[in-house]
This record gives sequence, C-alpha cells and structure tokens, in this order.
Amino acid sequence: MNTLKRWLNTAKSHSRWAVISVPYLWMLLFFAVPFLIVLKISFAYQVVAIPPYTGLLELADQSVLMKLNLTNYLQLMVEDKYIDAYLNSIQIAGISTLLCLLIGYPMAYTIARLPPTSRNIALMLVILPSWISFLIRIYAWMGILQTNGLLNKLLLGIGIIDTPLRIMNTPLAAYIGIVYAYLPFMILPLYANLVKLDLRLLEAAYDLGARPWKAFLTITLPLSRRGIVAGCMLVMIPAVGEYVIPELLGGPSTRMIGRQLANEFFVAGNWPMASAVAIVMLLLLMVPILIFNHIQGKEMEGRLT
Amino acid sequence: MSSLHRTGLFGKGMLGFGYAFLYLPILILIIFSFNSSRISTVWSGFSFKWYIALFKDDAMLNAAWVSLKVAFASATVSVILATLAAMVLTRFRPFRGRTLFGALITAPLVMPEVVTALSLLLMFTTVSGFFGTSSKGMLSIFLAHVTFTMAFVTVVLSSRLAELDKSLEEAAMDLGANRVKVFFVITLPIIMPALVSGWLLAFTLSLDDVVIASFVSGPSATTLPMKIFSTVRLGPNPKINALASLLVMLVAQAAVIGWYIMQRQEKRRLRDIQLALKEG
Amino acid sequence: MAANPEAVRPERSAADERYVFIDDVTKEFDGFVAVDDVSLSIRKGEIFALLGGSGCGKSTLLRCLAGFEKPTTGRILLDGQPMNDLPPYERPINMMFQSYALFPHMTVEQNVAFGLKQDGMPKPDIKRRVEEMLNLVQMVKFAGRKPHQLSGGQQQRVALARSLAKSPKLLLLDEPMGALDKKLRSQMQLELVNIVEKLGVTCVMVTHDQEEAMTMATRIALMDSGRIRQVGTPDEIYEQPTSRFAAEFIGSVNIIEGVIKDDEKDFVTIQSAALAHLIHIGHGISGFEGQRVNFALRPEKITVTKDEPADAHNKAQGVIEDIAYFGSHSVFHVRLPSGTRLMAHFANRKRWASENFTWTDKVWLSWGDNAGVVLPA
Repeated sequence: MNTLKRWLNTAKSHSRWAVISVPYLWMLLFFAVPFLIVLKISFAYQVVAIPPYTGLLELADQSVLMKLNLTNYLQLMVEDKYIDAYLNSIQIAGISTLLCLLIGYPMAYTIARLPPTSRNIALMLVILPSWISFLIRIYAWMGILQTNGLLNKLLLGIGIIDTPLRIMNTPLAAYIGIVYAYLPFMILPLYANLVKLDLRLLEAAYDLGARPWKAFLTITLPLSRRGIVAGCMLVMIPAVGEYVIPELLGGPSTRMIGRQLANEFFVAGNWPMASAVAIVMLLLLMVPILIFNHIQGKEMEGRLT
Repeated sequence: MSSLHRTGLFGKGMLGFGYAFLYLPILILIIFSFNSSRISTVWSGFSFKWYIALFKDDAMLNAAWVSLKVAFASATVSVILATLAAMVLTRFRPFRGRTLFGALITAPLVMPEVVTALSLLLMFTTVSGFFGTSSKGMLSIFLAHVTFTMAFVTVVLSSRLAELDKSLEEAAMDLGANRVKVFFVITLPIIMPALVSGWLLAFTLSLDDVVIASFVSGPSATTLPMKIFSTVRLGPNPKINALASLLVMLVAQAAVIGWYIMQRQEKRRLRDIQLALKEG
Repeated sequence: MAANPEAVRPERSAADERYVFIDDVTKEFDGFVAVDDVSLSIRKGEIFALLGGSGCGKSTLLRCLAGFEKPTTGRILLDGQPMNDLPPYERPINMMFQSYALFPHMTVEQNVAFGLKQDGMPKPDIKRRVEEMLNLVQMVKFAGRKPHQLSGGQQQRVALARSLAKSPKLLLLDEPMGALDKKLRSQMQLELVNIVEKLGVTCVMVTHDQEEAMTMATRIALMDSGRIRQVGTPDEIYEQPTSRFAAEFIGSVNIIEGVIKDDEKDFVTIQSAALAHLIHIGHGISGFEGQRVNFALRPEKITVTKDEPADAHNKAQGVIEDIAYFGSHSVFHVRLPSGTRLMAHFANRKRWASENFTWTDKVWLSWGDNAGVVLPA
C-alpha cells in the first residue's frame, strides 16, 4: 500500500516535470544555446575554412588555452561605419517612435471616446492592415515614393514643386515605412489604456474649474503614461533592429544596424563580426527594456503599498 | 456617453488622416494591379493579365505552398508547446529554474528578428557541422518559426489563463476530477477561443516572416515572403501587386466573417441576459 | 429560522460530536500564519459557520477542508477518517463556491452530472440523480440552459444541486450569499437551510456577514487573525460574548471601562469614571477586586425614560446628542456628564414625532442587573 502510494507520488511529480521540461528544453535548445553560440563566435577569429571561424579553446603543450578575440568589439567602437549604423538606428527608431506617438495618440484617444458600438469597428480598422503581409505593406510605398512615383506626380500636378523630390532610397523613406508599419503597435496599448480611463475623473476636473485642454494635460496624459511607455517599447525595439524597411525603402544611404549585421554575414562572410554586432545590438536594447521594467516595477510597488 | 467627453474636430481629423495613411497605399496597390502597363505608376488601361501571369508563375505558387505548409505545422506545434508553457507559468507551484523559464519563454518577444535569425542560423550550421548533414531548408524554418511564435502564443494563453476564474478548476477537482482530467474537460474547452486566436496569430506570424526564413533557409526551400522580397528588391513588379490584392481581399473577407460572427454572438449574449433578467 | 439540531436528532454519539475534527491545524504561507493552531469539533448534521472579517483565515480553513490547501501542521478528520493526504478529488467533501464556478461550456444538467460522471456512475443512474437534484432546487425546466442564461439566484440553485449531487459527507459553502443582492439573500438563506436540513447533510459555511451566520447556522466560530475567538450558538455569541472583540464584532454595543469594586458571591459592582453610580451586576463572576474590566451593554438592553427610574440600580442621566431613526426603533446617542456617549434603543411605539424625544432632551438611561456582560480588559 505504502509502496504503491510512493510510486504514485513519484509518477505524479514525474508528469509535472514532463510538462515543464518539454517547452523548457525546446527554448534551451532553440533559444539559449543559439544565443550562446553567437556569444562564443563573437570572440572568435575569422578564417577561410568551414566553419569560417576559429575555436576558443586550443590544446597546446598539454594545457588548454582559451583565446578570446576582442578585436571585433574594438572595431565596433572605433570604425565609423559601425558607430554610424548604431547611431543611425537609434535616431531613426527614436524619431519614428515619436512620430508614431504624435499620430497614434490622437487616434487612440478619439477611438476610445467613440460610442461603444463604433469603437470596435474603428479599432478593427486600425488592426486590419497588419494582417496583410508586412512585406507587401512596405512594398506598397515603393510605387508611391519613387522619383517618378505617384506622390511626385501628385505634387508636380498641383504645382507645389517643379522638380521631383528624391524620397525613395533616402532615410526619409525609411521613416515613412517604419511609422506606417508600426503605427498599429502604438495605437493598441494606448487605446487599451485610454478606454479604461474613468471619465468621472475628468468630470471632477471640469467641476473644479479645469478647462478641457488643461484637464487633458493634468489628468488624461499622466494617467495614460503606462500606455505611452508600452506603445513606445513596442515600436522602438523592433524598429532599432529593422532590416526589411531600410533594405527596401531606405536604400544604401540608410545605414541601420540590422542591415550591417546581414551585410557582415552574407556579403563579407565575417561570422565573428556579425555575431559581435548582434551582441552589441542586444546590449543597446537592454537600456530601454530595463527602463521599461523599472517604471513598471515602481508602479507595481506603488500599488501594493 | 455624455456629450462632454466627445472629441473635437482635431481628434476626428487625426483619425481620418490616420485611416487615410493606413489604407491609401493599399488601395493604390490594388488599383494598379489591374493596370495593363508594366510601369507601375502609369495607368494604361484595365487588365487581368498580371493575375494570369501570377497563376502561371510556378516558383511563386511553390513558395506559397511551402509557406502554407510551414505556417500550418509551426503554428500547431507552437500552440501545443505554448499551452504547456502557459500552464507552467500560471498554474504550477514555483520550481527551481522558474525565473529562467519565464525569461526564456518571453525573451524572443524583445529579440530583434535579425539576432534571432543569426543565432538560429549559426546553431543549425554548427549542428550540421557535427553530423555532417545539411539541416537547412524547410525543417530549419519550421523549427525557427515554432521558437519565435511560441513566445507570442504563450503571452496570449497566459493572460487568458490568468484571468480564468480558478474556482472553475477547483470545482471540477472538488467534484472528483484529477488534474489531467480537469485540464482536458474544463480548462481546455474554456480557453478554446484563446487557443484558436493563438493558432491564428502563430500562423500569420509564420506566413509573414521574411527575415528569419531568409537567414535559416538554404537554397532548397523558399517561402512566399522570401520570394516576394527577392522580387521587389529589384523594384516594383505588377505581379506582386496582383498577389498583394489577392491577399488583401482574403484578409478583408476574413475580417467581414469575423465581424459577422462577433456581431451574432453579441446579439445572442444580449438576448440571454434579457432572458435571465426576465425570469430573475 | 436557524436550524435546531436538538429537535432533529435527540441523541448524539461521541463520534457524531466529532464528525468533523480539526485538530491543531496551522497553515502558513511564506511565513505568514493564515490559520493559527485551530481546533474545532463539528457535529454531524449541523450547519456550522466560520465568521470573521477579511483575512481572518476563515477561507483558508475552508480550503484546507476542501483539500485545496494542505495544513502546515495538524490533522483534519472526517467521520474518523484522516483527510490530510487526500487530494480534493478523492475527498467525500463538496463545495459550493462563492462565484458558483459553474462550468460555462456545460448545460445545467451537465454541470450537475459532472461529479457523478467522475465516479463512473452508470448513465441511467446519473440521469435519475440529476433530475432528483434539479427537482430539489426547482430548476428542472432550466436543465438545458447554459449558466450565462440564468439569473444569479438560479445559478446559486444549480451550484447547490451540483455540490449535493454526490451526497457528500460534508458540504462546504463559501460566502453562499456573497454574489446575491440583498432582497434575494434572505429568501435564499431560508431555502438553503431548508434543503440542507431536509437532506441532513453536515455543512460548514464561511461568511463575513454576521446576520447571515446568525440566521443560517446552528453554531458559529468567530475568527480573528487566524485564531478562533469564540464558538457557540448564535444567541450565546450575541448575549454572552467572552471578549470585547466578540461583543463588538456582532451587533452594536456600549463598552464601559472600569474596575471591580466589590466582588461578592451573588453580586459584583464596578466603578467607572464614565458613570456617577457604581454598575451593579446581579450575579457573581470570576474576577477579583481591583481588576480592570470592560462592561459590555447592548443598546436594546437600556431603557430610556424622561423621569428618574425609582427602582433601578443602574442608571445615568444625559443629553440626547444624536438620533438615528430606523423606522421601527431609533438609536439615541446620549452624552453623560462625564463626556461618555452611550447608545440606547428606543422603540417607536407612537406615530407622531412630537410625542417622542428629540435633540437636547434630558433623559434617564437605566438597565437591569443582568443586562450586560463583564469582560476582561
């Protein structure tokens, strides 16, 4: 009886670990291990061989030597093309995020104040484009922004400009593409936050003499901070590492870090360098993520006490 | 809602501008898919010829078929793994390594695509170096897609499970069902809508991915986004316009159907509430 | 309405006295003691209420009985059988949840049948039993409905039927009226007690609502910070509280602090700065002269008169400061010369306010020798 019970108990705890270990092992194998490989290769030397990098450990004179190659990282810090790529990425992602916020906030606010029946449709209209292939939405702008494209034709036709503007293959095109692709990601968290705002708070503010604009600045805006932060994160993080948009719209003059990484790997065949670029990109992204966690953590604490 | 809280002209104007910004490019794309000229910005007459050309493009059709297969398989596996992960995150007692588990499951959400792509590619090459086989191709894309979509699905399912009234599961246990039975008879049926939307999310993410697929796949497998990407790199192409229009119509149709179902459910819910109130 | 088990079962064996036996149960969560060394014996067939404010440990104790929590130390016995190591799905105990926890994807019938199905009961038997249970709670015609198509009261009936279907040895009720509005509450309290008594099932309920505990339970355990403060019948708890906490938790009460002056066999006097006269108690108590005590006096035990009562030991004069009108009676807040305020009930026998007392009236308060309870300070 007792042995049976013990057996049942161990079987139970085994099944518990089985449930845990399947997703756990998957993520270790396909996420943690690949990441460690990238980390490892970033410290290796490029060689002409298969695979095209050196190992970190060497057996010589009966001792194991570990050789860490730091030149990849040093290069990242001194060479202009890398520094430019990082700064450009941050600048383009940052300004695009700001533009998304400026366009997205009024949209989210207006949708949140629509009557409940039309609210869902209005929100659906925001989400719908993101169901259409990302690539195709970016592609749609190629025909518009070309030098002989529709936008220039329109502007020339109206007579605002005399010579066609060069937008395609400039950073401006990349800005347009990023704002266009990521705008829904900004609107959704903002909407989720704004729709929950207790309108009685605004009524209280009006009752105490605040004009609508003042009530917005002192009540609505501060209370929607969480939505703003979440929206900015959702836009900023993928935008920094964006590869497709600068490749298709930005042209060679838009140097972003995602493209730099792909170039190192596919064009230069320099795996260690590509790995180092990836590691530094992650370190850069840690900054906004930690700030985000910090803000969230502080608000959680504030709510508990 | 009282008139006090309606938004002014500025808000309505911004909303209109936003919608125009979101939809005009797509609309233009659709219009020019019927353009008989090759040059995508000059209108020279109505024609279906790019649609016909599209359906004669075997490479394109093949790529679409590969994409569908990968998306279907990876979404299915992803939902199964994500369900386990979400149950572990929301229902299991804390265990050793729980923090790492949570971090591993959600980290792909904030990982730039290029980094995920590079790391998976490097791993696949390392592994195939060990075994001396070429592991690139559809299998690689499938594995990569399961890994990165699983994070998204886990978030969807975790939030559904977290808001699920725990006393439902306790009640089933109280009435004599063991944990496994509770999961299959109570939990799973109740979260089924979330499972379906999680599957759809994984499916569309997989169908949509170009970066990861381009990195990890070898010459043996080309997905539709990879094919589109390599085509449009060379400039606008009317065949892609035709393809895009087809996709848009598909999505629009799905949206209308979805909206219709939602509307019907809402009506039924209201009727049920009235029914319950009347007999109170 | 409160059930009277004495009438139903004239004699009880020792085993029936300890039908549910909670033996030194303690439950800790990460160092926080939710249930602190609780021992209770619950009789067969009684409706036993765990009463207390939020966070007092009553729900944790109930969840220990159901098997959702495992006691850190101590044992739980049901009908002599140890329960500690049994998972919830193997205990002959069923619970009606506060939220009812009706399975949303199943019909009323399927909900009630769920527990029976887990036991592997043959289909025809299940059908018969479900019908019997739905009959009991008068929900037969709703058998095909889904939970969201029912009103709150109907959902509660279904939840009750589901938890009774397996004929549990012990029925647990978690805040049974918590999700109902006030009007429906009193009606359902009556119905629930009737059904439970009809089946003779032993029942432990958790509630924060003293009125609910008083009307439904045969006995009440008053809980505070994880401990049992007092166990007794509703009138014992109300009329003979053993602590200031118990006196103040249930109903309203005047607490007068004082010191025992005379401690005799058949009477006691208490001196208090609040009152001009000594408080006279008409029976002996276990205390000593000079002991600091609290004298607890319910407002309805005080008589309010215009003129000084001639024959009362216990009296005080004061001014009406506040009147709370409740229709059937009013509560006067009377300020004594010492500054102490006492609450006193006054039955509104007359219809016209002009014939009653009003603000700033001088009144006399008086009470009998056995009207109050002496509690340790």
